[in-house]
Amino acid sequence: MIYHIVHSLLREAENLNVYGLFSFFLFFGFFIGVLVWAFALNENHLDKMGGLPLDGGERRGESSEKIQS
Amino acid sequence: MNTNIETFKYDNRIVRAFAIATVVWGIVGMLVGLLAAVELFFPGANLNLQFITFGRIRPLHTNAVIFAFVGNGMFMGIYYSLQRLCKARMFSDWLSWFNFWGWQLIIVSAALTLPLGFTTSKEYAELEWPIKIAITIVWVAFAVNLFGTIVKRREKHMYVAIWFYIATVVTIAVLHITNSMSMPWSWLKSYSMYAGVQDALVQWWYGHNAVAFFLTTPYLGLMYYFLPKAANRPVFSYRLSIIHFWALVFLYIWAGPHHLLYSALPDWAQSLGMVFSLMLIAPSWGGMLNGLLTLRGAWDKVRQDPMLKFMVVAVTAYGMATLEGPLLSIKTVNSLSHYTDWTIAHVHVGAMGWNGFLTFSMLYYLFPRLYNTKLWSVKLANYHFWIALLGMMFYAIPIYIAGITEGLMWKQFTKDGFLQYPNFLETILQVVPMFKLRAIGGTLYIVGTLMMAYNLYKTAKSGVFEPDTEAQAAPLEKSPAAVQGKPAWHRLLEGRPLFFTVLATVAILVGGLVEIIPMFLIQQNVPTIVSVHPYTPLEVLGRDIYIREGCLGCHSQMIRPFRSETERYGEYSKAGEFVYDHPFLWGSERKGPDLAREGGRYPDAWHYNHMDDPRSTSPGSIMPRYLWLLTQKMETDSLPARLNALRKVGVPYPAGYENGPAQKDLQAQAGKVVANLKQGSVKGEADKEIIALIAYLQRLGTDIKSAPVTTAAK
Repeated sequence: MIYHIVHSLLREAENLNVYGLFSFFLFFGFFIGVLVWAFALNENHLDKMGGLPLDGGERRGESSEKIQS
Repeated sequence: MNTNIETFKYDNRIVRAFAIATVVWGIVGMLVGLLAAVELFFPGANLNLQFITFGRIRPLHTNAVIFAFVGNGMFMGIYYSLQRLCKARMFSDWLSWFNFWGWQLIIVSAALTLPLGFTTSKEYAELEWPIKIAITIVWVAFAVNLFGTIVKRREKHMYVAIWFYIATVVTIAVLHITNSMSMPWSWLKSYSMYAGVQDALVQWWYGHNAVAFFLTTPYLGLMYYFLPKAANRPVFSYRLSIIHFWALVFLYIWAGPHHLLYSALPDWAQSLGMVFSLMLIAPSWGGMLNGLLTLRGAWDKVRQDPMLKFMVVAVTAYGMATLEGPLLSIKTVNSLSHYTDWTIAHVHVGAMGWNGFLTFSMLYYLFPRLYNTKLWSVKLANYHFWIALLGMMFYAIPIYIAGITEGLMWKQFTKDGFLQYPNFLETILQVVPMFKLRAIGGTLYIVGTLMMAYNLYKTAKSGVFEPDTEAQAAPLEKSPAAVQGKPAWHRLLEGRPLFFTVLATVAILVGGLVEIIPMFLIQQNVPTIVSVHPYTPLEVLGRDIYIREGCLGCHSQMIRPFRSETERYGEYSKAGEFVYDHPFLWGSERKGPDLAREGGRYPDAWHYNHMDDPRSTSPGSIMPRYLWLLTQKMETDSLPARLNALRKVGVPYPAGYENGPAQKDLQAQAGKVVANLKQGSVKGEADKEIIALIAYLQRLGTDIKSAPVTTAAK
């Protein structure tokens, strides 16, 4: 049923620029949502997450300085 | 808090295997690129061998660099970082090695089939259907291994690099399957399920996002892992990395139509592609700045550490390429740049700078660690850095100049209103010196890579390989919410890979669906033209030869609606002209003139002589000789299979046509071509491939002459 409605709307749509507006607002809404989410994050949690690559759990130290030069 | 610390081992063998494959295939892919570059100013460099002619090795170069060099580099980095970010060994060693050997087998298959002419002609998706199936199987194995590792991880939260890996796995699967839909007619040949405009949209939706999700997102994940590791400090802003990820994966998928601006693609799809491409600047630059700012306070290390040097240039090249890409998507800029070498320069800044330098950086990081030693020669690595940077400059700058020169010359009119350079060849000969400089740049880049290979080899020899690295971590607690109280929903997301994957998949699917579904549903998008008919059997054979030889690597079949193009080539191309084109052959580059209206432009004998020796008809031409077409016999036994496959994908050949009448029609048309050749004092034989190719070329663009354009009845 929904498929038929959408199908018929698409077939008869004369001004397809509506897709441009629809797409833009879709992204805009999505982007605002991501921004709100990102800025609502707890600072301590962000610090912990950012530090994850630095702790690989290796028993042998793996610092750049030790190996490279 | 869990106090049961577990001891486990990271698998270094698989990382080493992919690292070696990265170096080996990188050198091979670059050497093939150099040969292709040389053939553009010295066409005899193919030694008149069909297997190494430009049209066949161009896709070999692109596939080798993208899927063999960067592909192995991507697996190398992911297999190393994923284990450490998850604090777990890979889910299955067997799957890891299946992934490795399966991928190498696919690369070898590509290296064999592409020079032999087995190609779909769709850029970066040239490999034929059995190899495509193999890619799907290997990719699924990789996905199972990746998700299995994530599931058995000991670190509750998924670091942002893993998000990029997940988006890569999911999106490449969707793109590959959608674009690979085809109808086989032999063990190594098939026709695309889609035709003309629809095929073009699906292909460039794939092509653009292959760049996005094979060359960009996995490498961004690797940047977010290896850059903090090398700088020994966390990423500048983890918050920014979250915004970077979601905005990028959501936006990228929409931008595909910017490859088809001013083509026969409907205007609304072109506009969407342009607008979303421009918006891409924001997340891309957010990511670049995040990478560079991670080095705040650590720039002294960049002076000493070659790995960081490569990383800084890689991130900068990412920024340059992702600013330039959106600019090239602006229709006005694209009208000048499209089909020229400007695009080639753009992609090479991305490939050599972003992917190449980041790969070199990872290799310099990994080898000393895998072999538990120091880098054999920091000095040699520094030389590599400077020679590769110089090589990239020598490559890019001449090719930018060539591209802009071509675009301007194609559009230049005299004050009397005629084309200033009506002979296309003039415009190409003008930039041949730039092609030579480009080859020097490519050579320098390869010399640098060879220096790296030697340095890594000596590093390996000076150390002892550590097949496993022992690590310790506490196991993941079963019910974190019960221990920590009710967690915020974003933390839930970071801790739940399945839910995260579903959200990421929705984000990438939205753009694809909004663009592609209307294209298939709305008949107004492809107005049919009553006089456009399916290709004749001889023309079908000729078209397949055109595909085999990779002619579309240099010749487009899409006249854009500009006066400079219609004056030069004839009436602009209409969507309805391509309804039987499985696959579409619009091309993306012009090293020779557009052929959309080639039919009837020259006599048959001219084409024969042109293929025999292009310089006999077009003095100075850079096109190679196609001598084998004059001697090789047409393969007519498979004609019924070809026509049958085409009928299955929608070409209206009458029932039973392939069993008898088709062969008769083929012979009759071949006889006419031979007769035409005779009039031009050329002795042609009716069973040779050149006859089919001439028939196809003479058909191009002729249907539309004096034909009304009508929209299909509902």
